[in-house]
Amino acid sequence: MLSCSLCPAVRRMFRRFIPLLLLSLLSLVLIVGRGWCADGAVSASDDDLYVDLYADEPGFDGIADPLQSVNRAVFWLNDKCYVYLLKPVARGFRVVPEPVRSGLARMFDNLKSPLRSVSCLLQWKVKQSGIELTRLVVNSTLGLAGFYDPAQSWWELRKQDEDLGQVLGAYGVGYGCYLVLPVLGSSSLRDGVALLPQMYTDPLHWTLNSEAMLITKTTEVVNGVSLDRDTYESIIREQLDPYLFIRDAYLQNRAGKVDD
Amino acid sequence: MNTLRNLLSGWLMTVLLLLPLALPAQAQESSHNSPLVQVQETVDQILQQLRTEPDSPVRKEAISQLIRGKFNFELMAQGALGPYWRSATALEQQRFVSLFSRLLEETYLGRIQAYTNETVRYGRQEVRSNRAEVETYIVTSSVEIPISYKLLPNDREWLVYDVVIEEVSLVRNYRSSYANILRSKGMEGLLEEMEQKLAELQQASRPKENHA
Repeated sequence: MLSCSLCPAVRRMFRRFIPLLLLSLLSLVLIVGRGWCADGAVSASDDDLYVDLYADEPGFDGIADPLQSVNRAVFWLNDKCYVYLLKPVARGFRVVPEPVRSGLARMFDNLKSPLRSVSCLLQWKVKQSGIELTRLVVNSTLGLAGFYDPAQSWWELRKQDEDLGQVLGAYGVGYGCYLVLPVLGSSSLRDGVALLPQMYTDPLHWTLNSEAMLITKTTEVVNGVSLDRDTYESIIREQLDPYLFIRDAYLQNRAGKVDD
Repeated sequence: MNTLRNLLSGWLMTVLLLLPLALPAQAQESSHNSPLVQVQETVDQILQQLRTEPDSPVRKEAISQLIRGKFNFELMAQGALGPYWRSATALEQQRFVSLFSRLLEETYLGRIQAYTNETVRYGRQEVRSNRAEVETYIVTSSVEIPISYKLLPNDREWLVYDVVIEEVSLVRNYRSSYANILRSKGMEGLLEEMEQKLAELQQASRPKENHA
């Protein structure tokens, strides 16, 4: 009840402060981002004979992680949330037939089309932006609000995976540093900041009140985890240091996406 | 008119006659050692095993054999150690390669096993300056997971030196966590942790095998 009465006030406050917050954080990323370097790895370039086959992978430079102790704490917290809350709920959600859950995942993904279209346009990828826009129109109508993906299955119009973090990356903004966000998981200063304006590209943001929004977002996450094949569990089970493994995977994945 | 027609039909006949001679030779040359065909064969064989054989140590061994023949584990181990490879002694290198290949095998197998019943779509192959990359996609009903294989030529065939899942290089991914352990505990510490992890994984998979 308390949250209900607070909500409008908090929202108003957020609206007023977001531009300021964004600007200051962005300048921080720009100023500090380049200064921090990877945590002291031995440089391969000192050695003439050493040929590194894997050096041309994107994201080779590593990422600054000055908040590692805080990040590890949040990582631990997220792990407990996942294992004891999210995963059991998701397992229960599997009573819903798989085709329905896949359709639901596509519906949620369809809502991200505006974001992808805008992000393409901001990088002057005009054709890709058009593809996303077409996908949005086709899948929202013929695809029954995105439950099906006729744009891809009939016309080979594939999803263009772009977001505002990648836009910043494409303009040369560095990661700043690695962040583990509560509930949301791996992020960086750059990509975390990009999440704020990204909120406004979500059609649900303009149509639903905050309670309904919370319910849909929770459904989206639970549904997503119910479709996943224990990716997280296998990393936890197999890796010597899952925190570092996931950090590096995030970094490589983002670098690869910015590069495309 | 007539001469033109004769000329054309004559040309057509020649082409048609020569075509069977030219085609197999060309097809053989491009497919014999094609990295795409090799990856496809191996992945299909692994999936075949997973789909038709019951879960048993015998099946696991058969799949291991398939992977070991096609992966260059020594090169992958070198990549995972990065600059630390050169400072390790020959014995340490040997132990590391053996432990790392078994760990990597578990990881790769685990991932492939999770998607046994999905279809694999083969994308394009790129061969450049003696290296090749083959794109594959695991197609599930809601997502497509891109998995590329990077290969180097051996005497007779192409060997995988890296697997890239959703832009994430498996080998590169090990490097930062291993480097961190190496800095704090040294080579001996890393090898011990790897041995421990392997024992843990084998312990965990054993009861399931007896069950089946």
